[in-house]
Amino acid sequence: MAQIIVHPKTALVDVPLQIRVTGLLPSQLIMLQASLTDERGELFQSQVFYKADENGEVDLEHAGALGGDYVGIHPMGLFWSMKPKKMLSRLLKRDVINSPFLVHLSVYDITKPFSSSPDSLMASETVERWYSTPGVQRIQLKEGRVRGALFLPPGDGPFPGVIDLFGGIGGLVEFRASLLASHGFATLALAYFAYDDLPKNLDVIDIEYFEEAADILLRHPKVLGPSIGIVSVSRGAQIGMAMATFLKQVAATVCINGVFLAEQIVIKYRNEKFFSFSQHLERLRINELGLLAFYSALGNPQEEANKHGLLPVERAEGHILFIVGEKDYSVNSKIHAEQVMEQLRRHGKNNATLLSYPGAGHLIEPPYSPLCVASMNPFIPRPVLWGGETIPHAEAQEHSWKEILKFLRHHLTPTSISKL
Amino acid sequence: MVQLIVTPETALADEPICIRATGLNPFQVVTFTASLTDEKGKLFQSRAFYKANEAGNVDLDQAAALGGDYVGVHPMGLFWSLKPVNPFRRLLKQDVMNSPFYIQLDIFDSLLLEDSPKIHPKASQMIERWFSGPGLQRIPVRNGRVRGAFFLPPGEGPFPGVIDLFGGIGGLIEFRASLLASHGFGVLALAYFAYEDLPRSLLEVDLEYFEEAANMLLHHPQIQRSGIGVISVCKGAEIGLAMAIHLEQVAATICINGTNAVHETPCKYRDLVISPIPHQKEYTQIHVSGALNFRRIKGDPRDEVNQQSVLPVEKARGHILFIVGEKDECLNSKAYAEQAMEQLKSHGRSNGTLLSYPGAGHLIEPPYSPLCFASWNPFLSRPFLWGGDIRSHAAAQEHSWREIQKFLRCHLAPSRSKL
Repeated sequence: MAQIIVHPKTALVDVPLQIRVTGLLPSQLIMLQASLTDERGELFQSQVFYKADENGEVDLEHAGALGGDYVGIHPMGLFWSMKPKKMLSRLLKRDVINSPFLVHLSVYDITKPFSSSPDSLMASETVERWYSTPGVQRIQLKEGRVRGALFLPPGDGPFPGVIDLFGGIGGLVEFRASLLASHGFATLALAYFAYDDLPKNLDVIDIEYFEEAADILLRHPKVLGPSIGIVSVSRGAQIGMAMATFLKQVAATVCINGVFLAEQIVIKYRNEKFFSFSQHLERLRINELGLLAFYSALGNPQEEANKHGLLPVERAEGHILFIVGEKDYSVNSKIHAEQVMEQLRRHGKNNATLLSYPGAGHLIEPPYSPLCVASMNPFIPRPVLWGGETIPHAEAQEHSWKEILKFLRHHLTPTSISKL
Repeated sequence: MVQLIVTPETALADEPICIRATGLNPFQVVTFTASLTDEKGKLFQSRAFYKANEAGNVDLDQAAALGGDYVGVHPMGLFWSLKPVNPFRRLLKQDVMNSPFYIQLDIFDSLLLEDSPKIHPKASQMIERWFSGPGLQRIPVRNGRVRGAFFLPPGEGPFPGVIDLFGGIGGLIEFRASLLASHGFGVLALAYFAYEDLPRSLLEVDLEYFEEAANMLLHHPQIQRSGIGVISVCKGAEIGLAMAIHLEQVAATICINGTNAVHETPCKYRDLVISPIPHQKEYTQIHVSGALNFRRIKGDPRDEVNQQSVLPVEKARGHILFIVGEKDECLNSKAYAEQAMEQLKSHGRSNGTLLSYPGAGHLIEPPYSPLCFASWNPFLSRPFLWGGDIRSHAAAQEHSWREIQKFLRCHLAPSRSKL
């Protein structure tokens, strides 16, 4: 009788699983399916075809998928290749403390591919994928101007502090902050627009707001000073770079797929302002499926017109880790990261590292997150193409997450901080 | 005053047109859009952003689009980059005689990403794209077993006769036949399943049915006697190749993105039965868009076990033109065409030509047809991936359509009655 054996059945979402199917006929063709219904009731699914070995088993550690949502040996492929039934939906966990994502794994007999009728179901199992470990605390933050949620690891601490910044969708996105807290960092998921009483639109980036947040974090009794780290993506990475530039409290900054100049938006800190007007919206591209690619519409950091928008990144005292997806269609993330690396080099600094991932898109998230290649952005009339090729993007997520945790630990633990 | 000048306003769908805008501000960024509502009421649109020159003009024959659905100098870009507002719909003209596609061309004096009721175009022009020329006749065919529609050019003839075959979606697709007929060929758009009283699904290919159709065409008083042509795509091209081999009536065959062996359904002719290479659906892949990619489900004709399914192309008497889109995601058409060409060569035959188009997808159609990258299929629950890079695909359609007509004229000329 067919069985799916999965281990562990309950885990943090960034923990890989061992999945085996047993009790099949030798060389039997099966379809493995993973499905998940998100908090809005949207269905996400992946379907893959395997052939059992001579013992009637399929061990995802060794078996190569023949077809479906991926091919080849990918033990966690069922997770990162999930696609929404309703196109353009993005998988984003909102409640990160009280509930996991329930993922249903099922094995089907393959006489009729893509029609999972109840009679062809052979076995199933459900796993829990959590965004926080037991004991992680979530504290709503509303102090001064600052709005967000602070995630504390279990225990007394103190813990290195990190600010987590997401991008142009606004609001408060918490899932990466809760995961970082599960890895021992006191993490502040920080909102900066379209949340609570914050401005509805992002018209100006005022680094003093982010400085306030950094100081609040450092003042918390469970947060280890004297410096903090930042993990930031997209618009958040632009802000993260500005924070690294101006704020002495920042020792380690991770910037994922950002634009590091003040293009079309004022970046200010105290009495300094940076701005450049170099946008070429007429260069927007629409791909064969009607999705909007922005990358050619944004200015090039080497353009003369952008001179006054460049941040004085050489002032950054901490370390910077750039994470770049080379198939990012929303920003030309590689040239922006390379421009900052070059600027730092010219000033004799070598406090930055660049990790560039061929095939990865814009939304590089923690491991096993499904690739979101396009989605609706509340502020843009057409769906936005984020880009990315499924398998390289999944591999980039796995690799970069390990690098991010290593980077933060290295630069925020007491021995390394005292070197600053 | 802004003006949009389009010439000609009424034309055959495979004819290019000139589009110019005047009266703009010098170096102004403008948006050109094209909108079409198909016979099912579905909206297709395209847009491109241009910059006026110092005289305030934009001439699509010379100006380069800066962004939008295409970039660069593409006078007909607004047509071949049309996209359905609801993804995965295919643009396909059903009534080819009585109505054109109406396309509204608009120019806006700003960058417009999306239609807005508050923003009106500075100038508009409605144009007509017809799939049949003046004087073309359409005769429904219900003759013996044969089902289809016969398109006869105006005049006495005799005209070269051509059979037009489409692929696995079945039914009767007429637009290519009517366009080809508008260029002086007598074309029979031939259905072979899922149409009228023909079988609902394709369980076998009976070449005698196609022979009946070929004979019917040849015996028409206004059709040349010296041999017919076949233009075929996808599954139709597999059948077209089998016709070229077994039917002496066939003098010239065009196979667009087809196979060189019999796949999935047996093929029979009189007492010969060719067993097929079965599809292996476990090799289906799912594209990032969720569309199904069938490119790997067809077995390899070079496998020893599949040899009896390979079509003996060296036995074809007439000429064969293979047209291949290298980005075909429905089947590995390049490999199949190359194998067929190799087979001809190894038998000392030189009656085959291969036109291989990098960047073109599966659905290579007459010029200016929008690229259909993926579309809903009546037999599947998910969209089906055809593939293709928009610009290269458009160029391939333009080039191959000229080559197709040249090929047919050359090999169906009355003097070539060597059959």
